[in-house]
Amino acid sequence: MTVFHFFNCAILTFGPHAVYYSATPLSEYDTIGTSVKAAVVYLGTALVKLVCLATFLKVPENDSFDPYQESLKALIGFVDVAGLYFALTQLTHRNISQNHKFQAVGLGWAFADSVLHRLAPLWVGARGLEFTWEYILQGLEANANLVFTVSLAALGSLMWLRKNKPRALIPIIYACAGIVATMPSITSYLRRGLGWHLPKVVGFELFASLVMAFISWQLFSACQRPSV
Amino acid sequence: MAGRRGREGEMLESLYSALALFFILVACVELCDAATFVDVYRLIQYDLAGVPFGSRLASLNHHAGSSPFVPGADLSRTVVILPVREVNITFLRVKWDYIYEARKSFSAIVSLASKQGRLNLGIGICSIGIEYVTQRQPLGGLLFLLPQQFNPENREETEGEGKNYGKELMKNIFAELEQLLIHANIPYPVYFAFEDDKINAVLADVKRNDATGQPATATTGGMSEDNESSSVPQSGIVTTPSEGEDEELKEFEGNLVYDDAPDEANTSSSRDGQQAQVGELQDPIVPEVFEVVDEPLEYKLVVSAPEPKKLASPSITNIQGWLPGLKADGDVNQLPTIAIVASYDTFGAAPALSVGSDSNGSGVVALLEIARLFSSLYSNPKTRGRYNLLFGLTSGGPYNYNGTLKWLRSFDQRLRESIDYAICLNSIGSWDNELWIHVSKPPDNAYVKQVFESFSDVAEELGVKVGLKHKKINISNPRVAWEHEQFSRLRVTAATLSELSVAPELLESTGGLYDSRHFVNETAVFRSVKLVAESLARHIYGHQGKNIQIFADGSNLAVNPSYIQSWLDLLSRTPRVAPFLSKADPFIMALKKELAEHTVEVNVQHEVLDGMFTFYDSMKARLNIYQVASVTFDLLLLLVLGSYLILLFSFLFITTRGLDDLISLFRRPPSRKVKTA
Repeated sequence: MTVFHFFNCAILTFGPHAVYYSATPLSEYDTIGTSVKAAVVYLGTALVKLVCLATFLKVPENDSFDPYQESLKALIGFVDVAGLYFALTQLTHRNISQNHKFQAVGLGWAFADSVLHRLAPLWVGARGLEFTWEYILQGLEANANLVFTVSLAALGSLMWLRKNKPRALIPIIYACAGIVATMPSITSYLRRGLGWHLPKVVGFELFASLVMAFISWQLFSACQRPSV
Repeated sequence: MAGRRGREGEMLESLYSALALFFILVACVELCDAATFVDVYRLIQYDLAGVPFGSRLASLNHHAGSSPFVPGADLSRTVVILPVREVNITFLRVKWDYIYEARKSFSAIVSLASKQGRLNLGIGICSIGIEYVTQRQPLGGLLFLLPQQFNPENREETEGEGKNYGKELMKNIFAELEQLLIHANIPYPVYFAFEDDKINAVLADVKRNDATGQPATATTGGMSEDNESSSVPQSGIVTTPSEGEDEELKEFEGNLVYDDAPDEANTSSSRDGQQAQVGELQDPIVPEVFEVVDEPLEYKLVVSAPEPKKLASPSITNIQGWLPGLKADGDVNQLPTIAIVASYDTFGAAPALSVGSDSNGSGVVALLEIARLFSSLYSNPKTRGRYNLLFGLTSGGPYNYNGTLKWLRSFDQRLRESIDYAICLNSIGSWDNELWIHVSKPPDNAYVKQVFESFSDVAEELGVKVGLKHKKINISNPRVAWEHEQFSRLRVTAATLSELSVAPELLESTGGLYDSRHFVNETAVFRSVKLVAESLARHIYGHQGKNIQIFADGSNLAVNPSYIQSWLDLLSRTPRVAPFLSKADPFIMALKKELAEHTVEVNVQHEVLDGMFTFYDSMKARLNIYQVASVTFDLLLLLVLGSYLILLFSFLFITTRGLDDLISLFRRPPSRKVKTA
C-alpha cells in the first residue's frame, strides 16, 4: 500500500522480538551475543534445509496436498531441531543461566527466520498500492512463530541441558517438542489439504502457539521445582 | 539426470525463499481482489490556433468516486466514474443552451485566434453540461463508462427490438457529450472505458461506499442543481483574456448567466420542499468520519502515463488510383475524367475509439466497391468506357478537408481541367429513404443539373429519394463543410452525396464515439453503391434516361454485399484519426493494396497537415484499479499495534520481573535506570 502500511506491518512483524528482548531480563544480562550466534546457526540450518529440499523434493505442480512429499518435508523440517540442538548445546555462551539461554537462542532464531522469510516480501509487497490483509496476517504469523520457537527452545533445553528432570514428564516433553517441530507441516496441511483460508490458519497458529507456550511453561516450571 | 536435478534445485531455491509468499498469494486469491486493470482511452488533447482543448492531463492517481455527490464536496482528489447510460439526457438538454454558447465561442475563437493570438479560456465553457462539471470544480479525473456495444473490439452482434429504442437515445447523448468534450478545455484527465464485469463490480462497490458515507444521497440530486445554479454567476467563466477580447467575453458571460435564469426558476419551486432535508444536511462531517471507520477500503485508480507530448507535424496520406478509359484511335485529346472521392480519416473525443463506421467508413467502402465494379467493366476493352475514372481516398477530412486540398493542388493544370465532375461520398451508411446531393454551384448550372438528374433517375428506379442542396461557398471563411467545396474552390464541378441534410460544423459528424458499427446499415451502403455506380455507368456509357440496369442483382456485375460487409467490419475496428496514423500504417497499406487490386497507377501521397491544429500523443492507457486502505485506517492500525506492543511489553515485564519494577521504570529517569541495571 504505502510506506506507512509497510511501517505498520514491519512493526507487527519485528516489534514483538524487540519488545521481548527489552521487556524480559534478557536485556539486563546482555544476551544479544547469544541471539546473534543463534541467528547465524539458523542461517546455516536454513542453507542445509534448502539443499535437502532441493535434492529430495519435486517441484509441486499444483497446490494439492501430497502426503508423501509433505512427510518428507516434515522430516527435513527436523533439520531445524538439529540446528537448535547445536545452538543450545554446542555454542559456548557466556555464563548465562539456562533460563535466559533458551530464550536468547529462541529469540535469535525466530528473528532470523522472520528477517529471512518475511522482510523481502514485505518490502516488495506492502509498499504496493493494492491493499491486502496479507501482510498484517503475515505479521501475526511471525508473532506465533516467535512463540513457537521460544517454546521449542524451552523444550529443547529441557531435553538436552537439564539432567535431573522428573521421569514422568519426559515423554510429554518429547511429544510436545515433536508437535511444535511439525507445526509448519500441520499448517501446510490445513492450508492445502483442508483448504483453509489464511485468516483461519493464522488464527489457528496463534491459538496453538499460546497453548504450546502455556504447556511448555508448565513443563519448564515443573522441571524447575526439584532442582530448586 | 544431474542437470535436471540442478535445474530443479535452482527452481526450488528461489521457490523456497519465497515459499511463504507463494502460499500466502495462493491463499489470498480468494481473500481479496488483486489489482485489476482495464484498458482506457484518453480524451483527445489538441490545440486549435494555440488555444488548448480537450483533456490536458494524462496521468491519474486518485480515489474513485461515483455520483451523486454531496454538493460542495471536494472532488479535486476524486476520479468520478460516470456511466454514460446514466447521464441524464433531459438534464443535458437543459444545458444545451450552454453548449450552443460554448460552440459559438469556439468558432469565435477560431476566427479571433488567428488574428489576435492567444486567448485562454479556463474551466469556464468547457465543463458545462454534466452535473458535476457544472459545479466548476476541478476534479481529480473523469472516467466515462461506455456500453459494450460501442466497443470496436466487440464483434458480436447485439441486435434486438428492445435495444433499438435505447440506441437512438444513446446516440444523441453520445453526440452531445462528445461535442461538449471536444470543445472544452478540461484541466484534468478524462478517460473512456467500456463497461465490463470488473469495472462494474468496482463501480458497484464505490457506489455502496459512497452511499453509506452519505446518507443524504436521495436529496443530492436536487441539491446539486441548487448549488450549481447559484454557483454559476459567481464563478462564471475563468478567463484570463488578453487585450481586445473583453467585449466578446462579457457578452458570452452575460449569455451564460441569462441562460441560467430559467433553470434557477425551475429549481426554486422544488427548493421549498427540500428545505427540511437541507437542514439535516448541514453537518456533513459526522457521516464522513463514520464512513472512514466503516469502510476502510476504497478504490484507487491509477494511470501512469507520461506527460502528453506534442505530435511533430502530423502527416496525412492520400491514396489515389486510376481506371484509364479507352481512347478511340487517332484521338489526340485527353479523355475526360470522373473522380470518385471519399475521405477516410476520423476525429472524435477518444482518438483510439474513433472508428467512424458511418463517417466516413461507409464512403470508403462504397468507393472500394465502385472501384471493384468498374474495374471488372474496364478490364474488358469492349466494355471500357471513354472516361478515365479517378479514385481518391483522402485524409484530413475533419480538418476542413485539408488532405483533399493538398491532393488537388498536386494535380497539374491539364489533369484538373480534364475532370468532368467529382462525386464525393460522405456518410452514406445509415439513411432510410433519402439522400442528399450537396453542391456549391446553383442548381440551374448545366453540370449540376446533369449530375443531379442522372442520380435522381436511378434513385427513382431504386425507390429512394435524392434531394439537391445548394450551399454557396464563402471564400473568406476558412471552414470547408463538404469535401466537394475543395473541388469547387479550384473550379472543378463536384458534388457530395450524403445522408446529412445540413452541413456539419467543424469537428462534427467526423466519426466519433457514437459512430460505431451498430449504427450502420449494410443495406444502406449497398443501395448507395448501386445508386452511384448505376448513375456513373449511365453517364459513361451514355444511357441517360434509359432504364438499363448494368449492375443488376444476380448478374456477375452485381454489387457484392459480403464485400461491403467485410470492409465495413474492418473499418469499424480501425481507429483512423489522421495525426495518429503513421505513414506506413497497416490500415493505409491495406487500403492501398485493395485499391491496387482494382485500379492502376496507385499512388500514395504524404502531406503535412497544415492549419491551426496541434495534437498530443497518448491516446490509450492502462488503468490500474487498486483497493487501498485510507490513511485513517493506517493510523488506526498503528494505534492498535502500538497498544498491542505496549501491552505485550507490560505483560512480559510483569511476568518476568514483577509489577514493582515496571512501576519503578517510570519513576526513575531512563539514563539512571540503565546505570543501576
